[in-house]
Amino acid sequence: MRRTLLLIFALTGIVTVAQAQSGGAAGVIRERQANYKQIAGAVRTIGQQLRADQSAIGQIRRSAALIAERASQVHRWFPRGSGPEAGVPTRALPAIWANPRDFAAKANSFTSAARALDAAARRGDLPSVRAAMQTLGRTCGACHDSYRAPEDR
Amino acid sequence: MNDPATVPGRRIRVWDLPTRLFHWTLVAAVAAMWWSAENHEMDLHLRLGTFVVGLLAFRLAWGVLGGSTARFASFVRGPRAAIDYLRGRSGPAIGHNPLGGWSVIAMIALLCAQVGLGLFASDEDGFAVGPLSNHVSYETARDLAELHEILFNVLFALIALHVAAILFYALVRKDNLAGPMIHGRREAPEGAEELNPAGPVRFLLALAFAVLATLLLTRWL
Repeated sequence: MRRTLLLIFALTGIVTVAQAQSGGAAGVIRERQANYKQIAGAVRTIGQQLRADQSAIGQIRRSAALIAERASQVHRWFPRGSGPEAGVPTRALPAIWANPRDFAAKANSFTSAARALDAAARRGDLPSVRAAMQTLGRTCGACHDSYRAPEDR
Repeated sequence: MNDPATVPGRRIRVWDLPTRLFHWTLVAAVAAMWWSAENHEMDLHLRLGTFVVGLLAFRLAWGVLGGSTARFASFVRGPRAAIDYLRGRSGPAIGHNPLGGWSVIAMIALLCAQVGLGLFASDEDGFAVGPLSNHVSYETARDLAELHEILFNVLFALIALHVAAILFYALVRKDNLAGPMIHGRREAPEGAEELNPAGPVRFLLALAFAVLATLLLTRWL
């Protein structure tokens, strides 16, 4: 089971990189957006459960695990060429590739915040989950403020 | 006001205190909600939204329980009355005229719709989430958030029309409508009936309704 999973992960990684290299920027962007949407959905679920009178710890755990798992992949979602120049609608700003070190640092703090959230959720420690969500929110915002274009509606 | 020809010196009460307080609190709250949304102060926006739910619930109750000029039954009239008013064929009266009454209804309905959408909406990153948003999916919550933004433009247009109408009355018809909404009194047209105010028990009932409705919509559901 574990080896199959590893194999799937490895293949996904290879396919992602291959797509990016072979000009599959549209696919990379689509996948990236789908992943961020899933993260947002999970964030929403945790927030709702924290506000509820009876927080469903199972839902919090599942959502925190999903966020941590996706967050660990963030650094792979932005291969060169997957910016606005790809010709597909994306709000990823060219500044990402102009400041790779800062971007990587911000991605790392997001990953650590997601790990802390996951750990708090596993312990079932709701006050820590609450605090971890605030930290996570700040790390999301730090990146979005510099590297994501505002919504045009 | 139905007839700008007034009897000088005869000042009567037009709007009761709760109606005036509601009006100006709502003005401040809507302005603050707009500001907080523009500046991504979503915690503030959500808290203000809860407050506006309460304000609107109070106004709905006050439209049944309140002083005579605040009651829906006193100012919601048919299209015939509005046309007669436009032709200057209405009798003397205070409070909302038949046309203004409809704009009040439109404003309250639009605000209820706007706050209703906000209850279910969610921001893009999932951090700012309306209190009823758990009843819909993330995608639906995002669609509703988009409608929430679009509807604000309609609301803004109605507010602009409201201010323009008040300026028209002030400048063209020499009738100051803003003053009475502040101090509650105006010079009365001949033969107009004074405000028949509602007692404190009715006020407390409306307040209780507002608090319960707010708790229900933002906490209990």
